[in-house]
Amino acid sequence: MSKRKAPQESPNEGITDFLIELANYEKNVNRAIHKYNAYRKAASTISKYPSKIRNGEEAKKLDGVGAKIAEKIDEFLQTGKLRKLEKIRNDDTSSSINFLTRVTGIGPAAARKFFEEGVKTLDDLKKVEHKLNHHQKIGLRYFEEFEKRIPRAEMEQMEALIIAELEKIDPEYIGTICGSYRRGAASSGDIDILLTHPNYTSQTEKQPKLLHAVVEHLESIGFVTDTLSKGDTKFMGVCQLQQSNDDEDEEEYLHRRIDIRLIPKDQYYCGVLYFTGSDIFNKNMRAHALEKGFTLNEYTIRPLGVTGVAGEPLPVDSERDIFEYIQYKFKEPKDRSQ
Amino acid sequence: MPEIKLKHVVSCTSEDNTHKADNLLSSDTYRKWKAARAGEKQTSVILQFEKEEQVHSIDIGNEGSAFVEVLVANSSAPKTQDYEVLLVTSSFMSPTESRNGSNLNRVRFFGPNQLQKSTAQEKWDRVKIVCSQPYNKNIAYGIAFVKFHSPPDKNEPPSSSPKVTKLGQFRIKDESPSSGSSLQPGSLFFNRENANKSSTSPKVSPQSDKLSYAAAALQAGGGPHPSGQASSSSSSSASPQPPVKRKFEFSKERLSASGPSPSTKKSPAGSPESKAATPKLKPSPAATPSPSTTKVSSTQRSTEKKKEVQSKPELKPKPKTKPQSEQQVPFKKIMEGVVFVLSGFQNPFRGELREKALEMGAKYRPDWTSDSTHLICAFANTPKYSQVKSAGGIIVRKEWVLDCHKRKQKISFKRYLMDGDESSSESEMEVDEDSEEEVKTKTPQKKEIQVTPKKSPAKRDEEEEYARSTDEEPGADEDESGVDTEDELQRVENESRRKKAAAERTAEEEEDPYGGSTDENTDAEAEEDHPIPELPDFLSGKHFFLYGKFPNDERRLLLRYIVAFNGVIEDYMTDKVQFVVTSEGWHESFEDALMENSNLNFVKPAWIYAINERQKLLPYQPYTVVP
Repeated sequence: MSKRKAPQESPNEGITDFLIELANYEKNVNRAIHKYNAYRKAASTISKYPSKIRNGEEAKKLDGVGAKIAEKIDEFLQTGKLRKLEKIRNDDTSSSINFLTRVTGIGPAAARKFFEEGVKTLDDLKKVEHKLNHHQKIGLRYFEEFEKRIPRAEMEQMEALIIAELEKIDPEYIGTICGSYRRGAASSGDIDILLTHPNYTSQTEKQPKLLHAVVEHLESIGFVTDTLSKGDTKFMGVCQLQQSNDDEDEEEYLHRRIDIRLIPKDQYYCGVLYFTGSDIFNKNMRAHALEKGFTLNEYTIRPLGVTGVAGEPLPVDSERDIFEYIQYKFKEPKDRSQ
Repeated sequence: MPEIKLKHVVSCTSEDNTHKADNLLSSDTYRKWKAARAGEKQTSVILQFEKEEQVHSIDIGNEGSAFVEVLVANSSAPKTQDYEVLLVTSSFMSPTESRNGSNLNRVRFFGPNQLQKSTAQEKWDRVKIVCSQPYNKNIAYGIAFVKFHSPPDKNEPPSSSPKVTKLGQFRIKDESPSSGSSLQPGSLFFNRENANKSSTSPKVSPQSDKLSYAAAALQAGGGPHPSGQASSSSSSSASPQPPVKRKFEFSKERLSASGPSPSTKKSPAGSPESKAATPKLKPSPAATPSPSTTKVSSTQRSTEKKKEVQSKPELKPKPKTKPQSEQQVPFKKIMEGVVFVLSGFQNPFRGELREKALEMGAKYRPDWTSDSTHLICAFANTPKYSQVKSAGGIIVRKEWVLDCHKRKQKISFKRYLMDGDESSSESEMEVDEDSEEEVKTKTPQKKEIQVTPKKSPAKRDEEEEYARSTDEEPGADEDESGVDTEDELQRVENESRRKKAAAERTAEEEEDPYGGSTDENTDAEAEEDHPIPELPDFLSGKHFFLYGKFPNDERRLLLRYIVAFNGVIEDYMTDKVQFVVTSEGWHESFEDALMENSNLNFVKPAWIYAINERQKLLPYQPYTVVP
């Protein structure tokens, strides 16, 4: 998942922005993932709210907004700012840690560690480059480029290229660009490809070759430029579109973060569903699945028995199958950005 | 593999007038059980075996259910006993098939690998079959037949799951390869894949040998293609067959059923035509693991352990006779050789715990592997817990790692074992974790159990663990942990002294670190010895909130004390709360709470204990929890 969420437009942008900021603070500085989720959920429902929120009481009626968030909204609407947030912003710790986590390869834990060693800025990081691991070094090298969002047009270009190359390697490959791009987002933070091949199922041995063949091929055509990590089933790296020869004077394409995951064929569509998101849509869908007596995760959908024991993984041959099992109205990817 | 005889139907949610549940008792497959009405949410039937049996494999013929689950129980057990899952909910029809009413009569065989291992190893005499069909409200559904098989005789060659393509009117949906796991993720899917692409390259799967067979069966039967519409060209499709033929087949089967010869019984399907239809009866070698091996060995182990414990003549082992599991080792090597797996912990704590163990030289595995040695478990009955338990691995509590790390010492994991006498070991833990003050108050409670002259084996076990711990903390640590043998002796004395002097407890006793504490701490004692004193009100007007988890009974104890001392317990974190009692150390959320209410104080349970011990209000400052 990208570290940079697409900006949202809504009449309550101010509120959602500060909620997201609080959410990130909770995640990165306090490592309180549930508070992070709570703020995110509130922000998500508020962003869908069509009219401008006038006071906390009004917001409180929305799903995911409780007394305390309503209080904060009141404070924000009345004073235009939030003491808690001001405090956080002024707090060297949280702002630095928040900043450091923007470098790929540095999560909340590493950020805190660096901070405790006195590393607070990009320049500090450059000074201690020897302490960084390979992933973090690349994150540092392309920091500015990775911060930039990928316009949809460029995503489409990359998708076309990748699909075409897959076809060249082995026409049986199936590849899907997931993430917000699949949901029709105007821009994306990174590119996330789910890959499968009929030869690879959860019953077979792992087949890292299927993944590595693709990565090596994409490297050979100069699309993949760096590797952050390469395992049996997941590749993380950096890619860059090549300039076309006719417009030399055009600017070079930026380096982008790319993830490729190889998924067993039988788990592919659960994976596609999961990685298409949005995460909040996923949560709702899983909740619905549970209501219907199924447990759904990124690998499988399984029926639950009377004692709550999950049953055997159900055969899934498309995303639609999953919706069908849990009797949930099928939603096109573009409608899943709730 | 003998078929398990069904005695009678215990009950069922409902039954059709013609298709009664009793039909399941006979082996005639054309007589099936269906619910009385269409569109029932769930139907179930409970069957009684003739005697207790271990179930080795199950054959189920479907009748319109989308999912079928099989659970087991013992009729002799108290009624409250829950059914345990033997066969997890398994799919018999896809939503599309259900809606179209196609492929209603799939048959599936479930071998030992597909049954829940722990359940399949025990004997049961009652089964419950739960069917559901959420996708079609217009069909009454149930099952056509069910057959249970007990494990094959030892001298009988392991014959299992013969490859049957047809069984009566039914077609086979799935014959999963015995690939080891009881859950076969995607196996169904796999078959469907094969069926759909019947002509795909032979590479399709490593087990294509077996699968393609099933696939071929599917192919022959029109294939459960997702689009549903069974190509009813095949005579064996779901549509009813000419009754004549069916009768013929079934009469043959009845014959076999009425005169069971041993040879017939070898086939789990138990029907002659299944054999006839099968050109090769391929014995699958992996299909019959000796089902009780693990169990036997584990019981053996425990008996051995018990013996070892019981043979200890002395209640208080002398230091020299004690096990020497606690050498001084370099910090980095404390956990050398330990390969651990975590279960039930959440981040960030999970990360910390892992980090600590890794620092001490342990190796981490995300999942239980053959080389794993220890499972560090937050609570019993996590999936990994069950898995490791049945695999015979060592399951310990997190405190093992934490204590080793804290003391920078190699401590035997034995006293941190998760299974066994949970309560006793856990209270022991308290002694370990708690701060000094608590130790004072806590240990005596402990002690009483320890010094009880007549010990049950279990208690001795505990005693031994106790003794071991003495070794682990030589020198200075002894006092802190309060588990030294001499200490113990002294406390025994104190104990008896205290009993005599119970009435005249004075300030003098307060100076006695043991006497004072022994008095007020054991619940039982309090009841026995106190002449119901007037309750003091040290905590009048103070509002408390207990935060987080407390080991064992500590929460109850704290509540008792606070209430006894006239403090007020708040169920929720309200503005009134002045003291948050926690035994978990500083938590990030406290900062937030402080922001909301700057009057808050975070204190350790030790404060309450100390008040109780000294019988007066003490300043809380020494007991505050700080970040």
